[in-house]
Parts: sequence; structure tokens; C-alpha cells
Amino acid sequence: MLDDDAADAKIELRGVSMSFSARRSAPATVALENVSFEVRDREFVCLLGPSGCGKSTVLNLIAGFERPTSGKILLEGRPVRRPGPDRGVVFQEPLLFPWLSDLENVTFGPRMHGDPPDEYLPKAARLIEQVGLGGFERHRPYELSGGMKQRTALARAWIGSPRVLLMDEPFAALDAQTRLMMQEQLVHLWEQTKTTVVFITHDVEEAILLADRVLVMTSRPGRIKADIAVSLKRPRSYEQLISSNSAAELKRQIFHLVREETLKTMDRSPDGGRHPGATSSETGSVVPITQANQIAGGAAERKASGRHH
Amino acid sequence: MSPTRKLIISVAAVAFVVALWFAAGHFGLISRLLLPPPDEVASTATELWSDGYVHVPLWRHIAVSIARALAAFAAAVITGIPIGLAMGMFPGVGAALDPFVQFLRPLPKLALIPLIIVWFGVGELSKFLLIYLATVLTVIVAAAAAVLNVKRGRIRAAEALGVSKYQLFRYVIFPSALPELFVGVRMAVGIGWTTLIAAEMIAANSGLGWMVINASAYLRTDVVMIGILLLGITGYLLDLLLVALQRVAVPWIGKD
Repeated sequence: MLDDDAADAKIELRGVSMSFSARRSAPATVALENVSFEVRDREFVCLLGPSGCGKSTVLNLIAGFERPTSGKILLEGRPVRRPGPDRGVVFQEPLLFPWLSDLENVTFGPRMHGDPPDEYLPKAARLIEQVGLGGFERHRPYELSGGMKQRTALARAWIGSPRVLLMDEPFAALDAQTRLMMQEQLVHLWEQTKTTVVFITHDVEEAILLADRVLVMTSRPGRIKADIAVSLKRPRSYEQLISSNSAAELKRQIFHLVREETLKTMDRSPDGGRHPGATSSETGSVVPITQANQIAGGAAERKASGRHH
Repeated sequence: MSPTRKLIISVAAVAFVVALWFAAGHFGLISRLLLPPPDEVASTATELWSDGYVHVPLWRHIAVSIARALAAFAAAVITGIPIGLAMGMFPGVGAALDPFVQFLRPLPKLALIPLIIVWFGVGELSKFLLIYLATVLTVIVAAAAAVLNVKRGRIRAAEALGVSKYQLFRYVIFPSALPELFVGVRMAVGIGWTTLIAAEMIAANSGLGWMVINASAYLRTDVVMIGILLLGITGYLLDLLLVALQRVAVPWIGKD
């Protein structure tokens, strides 16, 4: 199913590896090892994995904030070299500009490009309305709640009609109710615009609720462990995820994969023994899984070179 | 604690210390020559206000000191901020200037007085230079640090919106650095103001610093105390002015 549509791959990672060293003398930490995947046009892909697995690094590489140690990152067939407005980015923190009003934050990109106001202002008004911030245009970021700030950040990234929207755990810092509302708004916006989205999360339910496809990553060094299609029909809701059998099965399957990786990181960490129950185990019977659907191209077989100790 | 309550406590604390001071003089605990009591200081103050100190009116001493300090502060801000920003933005500039800045900044500026006198004489220029040097180095270091402390995430957010290098500096890095710049300038002005006395030791014949030094030579402790009070109050008012300016210029300080 991946073979015939390489042509409309929006984003493509080919054998991407990334290692860091904090000091010149320190041994390099391998963050990513031979990561390869594609994201098709208009697809909503979630990258899921335990903390420290390099999910954010993948996103930073696609955004162009960092360059890979080896491998290729292509956006519509062209290599990514630097950040650009063709890729909108929403971070875990809103990272708004506190000296600007809400409207000025949303219109920051178009204003920097010198776009005519009668072009971007109506668009901004529409977006602000869509994310439910109508009436707050003149407020400063520090006068807004966490959820409102994050919605402003979403509108700011979206106004330039980016070809790809990259989201790095954008709702992780929000309370449960706000998160739910944001997820609905995001799906709504995505359905209207059909922008390609790469969304990073460590929340299995969030991934199933949002994604067309979930890519599960291994713990460090990060590789693609499994590539799972989420075929539940839209619109989806949390109620459905609870009541539908296929959703529950999918959730169990993905949960198991993530749990395996989380356990590995705990065995490795020096204080691992202190929190043995950190991954909740109440989902009960662990279903034996034959390494999920498709395991990404041979990545699992590569031996971990230069692994840190 | 409510602001009014805090104010009441502050006023009460000051009143208590003044009362102790009063008692010390009037009950003969400390010689009046060493510590003139507040009423005596107050009467000297009215005398100074009407007759001046050594034929120079008191307001002139105050004005001369403020003028000297403000000229040096203004010059320090105008030159120090661009230099510091450049050091923060361009690692090469930082590496070139850092040794000089780091050497001069912790140096007690009094040690420079002999050199300054030899090079620039005993006129206003030397006084200006001493206050300027004391102020500008702190401004430079603060400005460079402010640039380096801008959140990487905020820079990335701007880069992802497609800003040019110049726009990144002008519309993101500079405003992000403003709150720290203000804190730096406030610190620098505090340091500069303390250097005033040293500056006015260089052959002056007016100014609050000079008045203190001169009065001490004649054991006019009351005049010395008035000078100290005025230096303290003026320094405090200068800082209040900067805080007010900061509130207008960077209302988001500490809120994000």
C-alpha cells in the first residue's frame, strides 16, 4: 500500500540518523537511528513513543531547526535545509510574542512577508473565530488562558496556509477538558483545509482519536517500531473509542507496543526500580502481538552502533 | 499582604529608626559631634537650603550631581546597548570584546582615577568618564546576556513563520531582550550613582559628593549626613523613575 504512491509523498525521511554530543569529549548519544517513513498528502500522522525516544527530534528535523547526522529529509521531493513558512509549527508551549496583541501574533507571519493587510486580515478574523477567540483580538498573551494561548499559536501557524503542519505535543500542557476541545477544533480545521499534519504525542488515546496513521517509535535510539493504520471512521469521539470494539482492540495493541518501549527505558535508567508501576497496567490481559502491522523497512534489524552507556 | 499594610510597616520601621536616632542624641548616648540628632540635621538642612553650602545653593549641588550622572548614564545606555547586543548576536564580536569587558567590569573604578586624571585632567570630562565606565560595562554585559537568554523556542517559532535574519533580530530578539535590558540598566544606574562620590573627589567645587567630602574635612557631620540622605533619596527616585519607564515600555515583564 505504500509502494504506488511515493509520488505524492508530502514528507519523506530516508535512513535518517541523528546523534548529539553535549561536550566534545563526551560520547555521542544516538537519538535517532535509521528512521524512514513517508507522510502522504493530506494525511494526519501521529508519532507516538515514550519520552526521550526522539519524537521531537524527528519534528525538529522536518521543520529544519536541526540537520540530520545522516540520511535525507524531503518535503515534496526537495531536501529540507532550513525552517520556512511552508511548514507551520506548533510547540508544546505557545511561544507567543508577549509584546504583541492576539491579532498581531496571529498575523505575524503575513506581516513579516509584507502581505497586504486586506488579504490577511479577513483570513485572521476567520481563523480567530474558528478557534473561538473572537473578541480577544486586542488582548495580550499574558491576559489569556493556557488553552487560548495555544489556540492563538495554532492560528498563527495556520494563517500562512502551510503545506504541512508540525505539532509537538501541543496539548500536553493543557487540562483534560481544554485538551478535548482543542482536539475537536484541530480535527475540524484539518477536515476543512486538509493540510498534512505530523502530530507528536505520548498519549495513545489522543493518537487514535486524531490520526489516519500512528507511527510507534522505539525508546532511544529512536526507530520506527510499527506503522499502524487507524481506519476508524470520522468524525470520532472519545465515547466511540470507549464503546467500539475495534477501537478498543487498536488501543490495546498500540498501548502494548508503547509499554514495551517504556519498560526498556525504565530498566536502563538508574532509578528505574523506584517506579515500577508508572505505566498503568489496568488494561489487563496483554494480548500477544506479532510485532504489529508493518515494521518499517529493516530498521529494527540494524544493530545499535555507538549506543551510549 | 496588602500594599497598604506593607506601606504602614515600612513607614513604622523608618519612624522607629529615626526615633532611636533621636533618642541616641538627646540622652547623650552618642556624642552629637559624631551623630547629630535628626532635629539638628533638619535645622542645618533649612540653613543650607537658604544660604547654600560654601556659597553654592543646595539645589545647585543636587542639580550638578544629577546632571553629571544623567549625562554619563545616557551615554552608557546609548553606547552600551548596541555594543552588548552586537556581542550577543555575533559570537566573533563577543569573543573580541569579552576579555576587555570582563577585565574592566569587576575592577574598582577608584583605581582608574589616577590614570584618568593624568590622561584627561581634572575637569568635567574626567568625572563623566569615571561614572560612564562604571555604568557602561554593566549595561554591555546585561545586553549581551539578554540576547543569549532569548528562548530558543521563541526564535524557532519565528523562523518557522519565515522571518529574515534582520526581522528575527528587530521583531523577536530585541523585544525579547528588552525586559532584561531594563533590569541591566537599573543595576548599572545603581552602580553608576555610587561612583558619583568618587567622581566628585576629582577636584570639584560643587555636587553632593563633593559636599560630603568637603564637610567631612571640617567635621561638619550634620552636613555629611544631609549629603548622604540626599544621595540616597535621589538614587532611590532615579530607580523609581526607571521602574515607571519599565512598566510603560515592557508591561509583559515577568508575565511570560
